[in-house]
Amino acid sequence: MRRVRTRSVFVFILVLLFFGGLCYFTVNISVNAGSWVQHSYNGHLSGSGGLEKAGKIFDRNGVVLAETVEGERVYNSDYDTRLATLHVVGDNSLNISTAVQSVYRDNLTGFSYIWGLEMPETFRGGNNLTLTIDSAACKAAYEALGGKEGAVVVMNYKTGEILCSVSSKTYDPEDPPEITEENESEYEGAYLNRVLSSSYTPGSIFKLVTAQAAIENISDIDDRTFECYGSAEIGGKEVTCMSSHGVIDFEDGLSQSCNIVFAQLAYELGGDKMTQAAQEMGITQSFSVGDVKTVAGKYDVSQASDNDLAWSGIGQYTDLANPMQMCITMSAIANGGNRAEPYYVESIGSGDYSKITAEQSDGTAMLNSETAQKLNDMMRYTVETNYGDSMFGGNLTVCAKTGTAEVQEGQSNDAWMVGFTRDEDAPLAFAVVVEDGVFGLTTAGPVASAAIQACAESIRN
Amino acid sequence: MESFLQSLNIQVITDVAIVALRILIPLLGIIVVFQCYSSMRRQRRDEKPLIVLENRKTTEALPVLFWENSIGRAKRNDIVIPNDLSVSREHCVILRRKEGWFITDTGSKTGTYVNGKLISERTPVYINDEIRIGSDTFVLKRAQDYSVIDSGRRSLFYKKEGSKEGIAPFALMMLISIFTLFMATEACLSIEATDFRPLLIFAVFMGLAWIFYLVSTKIFRRVGFELEGLALFLSAIGVMLSVRQDMRQTYVQIAACAIGMAVFCFMIKFLQNPDRVNKWRLAIMIIAVILLGINIVFGSVRGGAANWIVVGGISIQPSEFVKIAYIFVGASALDQLQTKKNFIIFIIFSAICIGALFIMSDFGTAVIFFATFLMISVVRSGDYKTVVVSVVGAIFGGTMILRFKPYIADRFAAWGKAFENSDNLGYQTARALTYAASGGLFGCGLGNGYLKYIAASESDLVFGLMCEELGLIVALTVAFSIGGLFFYARAITTRSRSTFYSISACCAAGLLVVQSSLNIFGAMDILPLTGVTLPFISVGGSSMVSCWGLLAFIKAADERTYAIKKR
Repeated sequence: MRRVRTRSVFVFILVLLFFGGLCYFTVNISVNAGSWVQHSYNGHLSGSGGLEKAGKIFDRNGVVLAETVEGERVYNSDYDTRLATLHVVGDNSLNISTAVQSVYRDNLTGFSYIWGLEMPETFRGGNNLTLTIDSAACKAAYEALGGKEGAVVVMNYKTGEILCSVSSKTYDPEDPPEITEENESEYEGAYLNRVLSSSYTPGSIFKLVTAQAAIENISDIDDRTFECYGSAEIGGKEVTCMSSHGVIDFEDGLSQSCNIVFAQLAYELGGDKMTQAAQEMGITQSFSVGDVKTVAGKYDVSQASDNDLAWSGIGQYTDLANPMQMCITMSAIANGGNRAEPYYVESIGSGDYSKITAEQSDGTAMLNSETAQKLNDMMRYTVETNYGDSMFGGNLTVCAKTGTAEVQEGQSNDAWMVGFTRDEDAPLAFAVVVEDGVFGLTTAGPVASAAIQACAESIRN
Repeated sequence: MESFLQSLNIQVITDVAIVALRILIPLLGIIVVFQCYSSMRRQRRDEKPLIVLENRKTTEALPVLFWENSIGRAKRNDIVIPNDLSVSREHCVILRRKEGWFITDTGSKTGTYVNGKLISERTPVYINDEIRIGSDTFVLKRAQDYSVIDSGRRSLFYKKEGSKEGIAPFALMMLISIFTLFMATEACLSIEATDFRPLLIFAVFMGLAWIFYLVSTKIFRRVGFELEGLALFLSAIGVMLSVRQDMRQTYVQIAACAIGMAVFCFMIKFLQNPDRVNKWRLAIMIIAVILLGINIVFGSVRGGAANWIVVGGISIQPSEFVKIAYIFVGASALDQLQTKKNFIIFIIFSAICIGALFIMSDFGTAVIFFATFLMISVVRSGDYKTVVVSVVGAIFGGTMILRFKPYIADRFAAWGKAFENSDNLGYQTARALTYAASGGLFGCGLGNGYLKYIAASESDLVFGLMCEELGLIVALTVAFSIGGLFFYARAITTRSRSTFYSISACCAAGLLVVQSSLNIFGAMDILPLTGVTLPFISVGGSSMVSCWGLLAFIKAADERTYAIKKR
């Protein structure tokens, strides 16, 4: 008899596995319940996405962007404001996974795993949520986009508050489109917040990365001169430039956005130093914005030829950058090398709107302070000598760099403008990308200008 | 004060009641399961020897502790005669039956002698008989004449002696009734329909349960009601989960429960004499094979597996009943166990069963049979080589299935990636997970779930349904109560009346645990979804009956089941 008992250890082990599995399951469901419930097919959330008891969402000035009125989720009364803030606020069906109505749905509705999704009404109370964005600035940026697709982000680089974040293709959350197979292409990427989750070919804004590598690695960079005659053979093949700059130095090379200068530098610095610069400048990093992570860009020259390496230094080849990340990089250049920690949720709580009082912080070290200052000066020089302060309304001291990325031959370009202001009372870092544009300056410039002027007005008041 | 009273409108009162019920149901569930097990843990018997074997030369007394005892030179025997090379490693077995004590030689080299005569088969022995084993002669003595001898290690399952009495069967029944009443009340208040039909179901089901209780305690005068209590607790949850899904199914489930109870009682009667069971072994095997054969020929396909036959409008799943037969055939008494003859028959029978299930494409059940085969062969022979060989064979066979049965391969493809495939292959599991998480710890209330609209939610995905409607606490309580059956079965191995009972109890409990694992982890995307039922909970008549049958093995292993109750 005793032998049967001893041998039953085998069954005992199987039973222990069963209990082990149950423990694993319990841990798993406790940790992941919040994300498991958030699926569009979940019947507990259907209708108003389970948001019929959710609290209000305010912008930084107390403008209501979403609220529940008699069991219905309603959004801001202004059509353009709704479209401009869609990707930050979200919709009823939780289609935009990074929007606050998706990410903070549990807080907004008072969901907790302990009580599940079907708490009787008496015991359910939603919380209110205050955002750092200025809906008027978002609207201005959205209108400046003029129906084009793209992304606009502006933040206060002293505090990290995101003041403006717009993504287009967008739609009206009050009247969401029925996306079918026929109109799929029309709404392609409408559920994506391009600010956080898209990456674009950077084009000339990548010259800032190459410049950073050059400043750090070439001590006499300011004494160097380059020759540009519209094209040059680098790494065995041709690299072209928009114009023929003649003999040109490093600083003018950036302000005039000379391809030859930076292609030559990238080729000279080599893949390792360029890859390091791309990492330090944040291109290949993913950053946290509140509870959401940005998509990492790309800089990979491991398979590149010498000529490819040259092109990679001017933001072509396979390079990719994310708008939010570019804005963070700008904050570091603006802030003596320390980047801001961006956020757009000011508070979640049962209280009503109260005025935002964001604290300045030193930020997080990202770049060497001297390098940052040098880039800062060069970007200011670029505006002074090339774009002119007048395009930003005249009451801001702007430092910027544009980019015109060739996506595919024959297709129109992705137009970029990234930069920041030097104004103490309006410390703004920004990144703008417009798809299907002509040039960075002419397409992205006006959008950036509209966005930062609106933001400056908002925080100066 | 006035405004406070005004705020106490009907809505608030109902909401408070609903929340109170949601908290009380898991609480009572835990109490029921806890009381059952804590009562089982108090059943420690006094471990005095039944008889002793006194060495004639040395007058050293060897205690005979169990109903069946192996005697031999090897340490693993119940009675060890060390250092005598004329004693075989496994020499003989001394066992107790209703008629008295017997001794069987299990193929020893030097033979076993009773009163000087060499024995060949099971021979009765009486007090003061002389038994010669090897070079020693032992005299059978009454145990009373000897002071208590150390009886070895005891199970951790049991509580210390002298603890309080366990819960009375009547009180347990009351607890289960209240628990079920709470569930029925909650189901009455469901969002979709507010009516009192769940209370009717409650009355029918609990009426049946009380009849079973009365029959079992008053007519059969059985001691202990913990196993039956657990089964009723689980069945009640299964019945109440189906109330708001398909009322017709609920009645079928209750009817199956009644049949299951009858099968349970019959089996306990049938198992009373382990030697009689042994005579029926071949017949049971043949019936099982015929059942499977009928299934293969006349089976109809449901959900990819042809494991159903329809008889007179009632569809049954023969493989469920074969589970019971399988345990019957696998277990045997200690003297037969040691002669090893019938092990080959068991292997052949296993091959037929698993092969038949493969032909029916019922791979979930095939896995259960295979796991049970491994358990039985290890417990019988202690031979891990068989396990290794079988597992290698199974992996080989499994690879073959994946090649030739693409829909099984699909399940593997979606396994662990339910949400990525939530529109196609992971459709069911993704929803089971989402809705399980939507329920929280206390559930969203019976009838308020959405998983019930998904196919197979009442059977394969029932764990998800339970998490959603009754909450994680109840679901885990259910899982633990099924897992706990094995610990109970293991604790009574040395106390049962034959290794037939200990093997069958351990392996029946093991089978239920393996089946629960496949169901729970399959629905929760930890294992591939194989479509097996959760014991007692899943809707399905055959499954319900077979679970009661398997439970009978555990009940029969308890020595008290066949003891005559003192008035």
